[in-house]
Amino acid sequence: MSNNISFKDVFIKGAVIYNPVLIQLVGLCPVVAASTTLARAAILSLILCFELTLTCVIASAFLKKTPRWVRVPLYLIIGIAVICPILWFIETQTLMNLSLGMKIYLPMIAVNSMTAVHCEQFAVKNSVKLSFYDAAAVSIGASIIFVIVGAVRELLGNSTLGGMPVNLPVTFKGMALPFGCLIMLGFMAAGLKAYVSRRYPDFVEDREPEVKPEPVADASDEMTEVEVFDEFWEEEAKEEAPEEIVEENTQQPEESEKKKEEHSFGSVEEIEEFFKSLGLDVGTKGDEQ
Amino acid sequence: MANKPQKQNKVKASQIFGDYIVMLIAPCIVSVMYYGTRAAWVVLVSILSAVICDMAASLILRKNFSFRDTSNVFIGVAIAMMMPAGVPFYVPAVASAAAVLTAKIPFGGSHKAPFVPAAAGFAIASVCFKEQVFNYTESTADKLLGAQSLGSLLANGNSVQLNLGNTFDILVGNISGPMGTGCGILMLVCCCYLFVRRKSALLATAGFIGACVVYAMLFPRINASVFSSIVLELSAGSLLFGAVFLITDPATLPKGGISRVIYGAVCGIICMMMRAVGTYEETVCFAILFTNGFSPVIEAVLNYFGSLSLTKGKGALKNE
Repeated sequence: MSNNISFKDVFIKGAVIYNPVLIQLVGLCPVVAASTTLARAAILSLILCFELTLTCVIASAFLKKTPRWVRVPLYLIIGIAVICPILWFIETQTLMNLSLGMKIYLPMIAVNSMTAVHCEQFAVKNSVKLSFYDAAAVSIGASIIFVIVGAVRELLGNSTLGGMPVNLPVTFKGMALPFGCLIMLGFMAAGLKAYVSRRYPDFVEDREPEVKPEPVADASDEMTEVEVFDEFWEEEAKEEAPEEIVEENTQQPEESEKKKEEHSFGSVEEIEEFFKSLGLDVGTKGDEQ
Repeated sequence: MANKPQKQNKVKASQIFGDYIVMLIAPCIVSVMYYGTRAAWVVLVSILSAVICDMAASLILRKNFSFRDTSNVFIGVAIAMMMPAGVPFYVPAVASAAAVLTAKIPFGGSHKAPFVPAAAGFAIASVCFKEQVFNYTESTADKLLGAQSLGSLLANGNSVQLNLGNTFDILVGNISGPMGTGCGILMLVCCCYLFVRRKSALLATAGFIGACVVYAMLFPRINASVFSSIVLELSAGSLLFGAVFLITDPATLPKGGISRVIYGAVCGIICMMMRAVGTYEETVCFAILFTNGFSPVIEAVLNYFGSLSLTKGKGALKNE
């Protein structure tokens, strides 16, 4: 990859087209479990940005010639080495009080699949500058989703935003739970995919050919429920069905067997010739005798 | 034997949901009789919410919307029937919208939904608005237990001394609870209608109710006779309603007969276990959603063992 690629190109690809959370579905655990409020999501995003960027830059600078089986554990060690001082700093040098639920998920960022994937697939194969661009783009893309999800969950689940009470007529407690977050992520992923398929159609790999929409009524009528067990109540139909099969199957049994052989293994002579060409003597005639 | 073509009776989706709507007319009338016009408004709001959400989604997805798709009406009425009559209007509206937007539209319609949309909508509403959904204080002056529902009574380990009078009240649904699901006699009539229209779907219902009865006999939550335990457990909440209207959803039912019975039985056991240890009074929808996920697994396992037994039978014939 050439070094003329701008940050904008990398950003569009890393943060929008292949968004780690919505498209690649990596890093779902922190976003679902930990980002229940805007403040939590912001802390999570900052630590993710710092950890991912630093790990990718170190991997690109020093680990290119390291064997793969050593590299992957090293990513985790580097990640933990980056996160531990940050947590120590937050706990001792600031007045910020991290709750227990938050503390559990912060070290898990180090062992996140996002870090391993981007270090292994991009950082060790490209220059330090491009690795930095990629890590920054990916972490910004993930952070935006973290913050949006955190803000919406806090607003709808607790009727607050950033700790400030907001007067909403209805509070959806389910949004603060993981299932609410997963439903929201599903809708966001669908929206992003729709945007990408329109704005960047060349990047959509699994795009289906355009089909004219059919009326809903016809579509629903096409669905039929298979009432297999109706035969349980109709004994006569039960008796008729096997006879029909026998007639169909006994029409040309030899031809159908031959066809089966040809389609699956080839003819018997061909198989014998094949084994003879390999120097093996496989005699099917002996079996017949 | 494995390739035996099954004679299949194909029923159109619109007819299936049409049948459900016909069956739901009677519970609607009963709920209006018990709770007045308030019940009718809840049903109307719920239906309108489902239809409007489907229209909006069709507009966004650029699909043609048809009023012939009666599944929206079914979703709206079913959710309203499981709600108390005094519920704020936004609760059934949100539940119907959630059912359509999260369980129906993303999967391509009711005929493809892997989870029963009405059950999903009610489950979401139960989690989000627990206080409103389980508040049965509307028009409870002439009810058997006042504002207390059978579900909460059983959850607390209390019982009712059953006699001819209060048993009749319980069977006709004259107790606090969801507005359209308490009348056991009506559910029996709906079962008869379903038997005429879709016999095979009732296999799941039979498995479900059978499992619930056995569980209520073996592990009663109350210190009363076995008969009382069974009657009270079956009459509490939306158990019978779920057995008739939700578990028989055509998209989620397994295809084989034995699979359907086992599917219903598993759902029934999970429902009763959730009642025993769970925090929610109404567990049918959660149990149905949980079992929906295992519906293909149940069928695959039974098919696997079915094919094994068929092969053995074939081999035995050859040896003879």
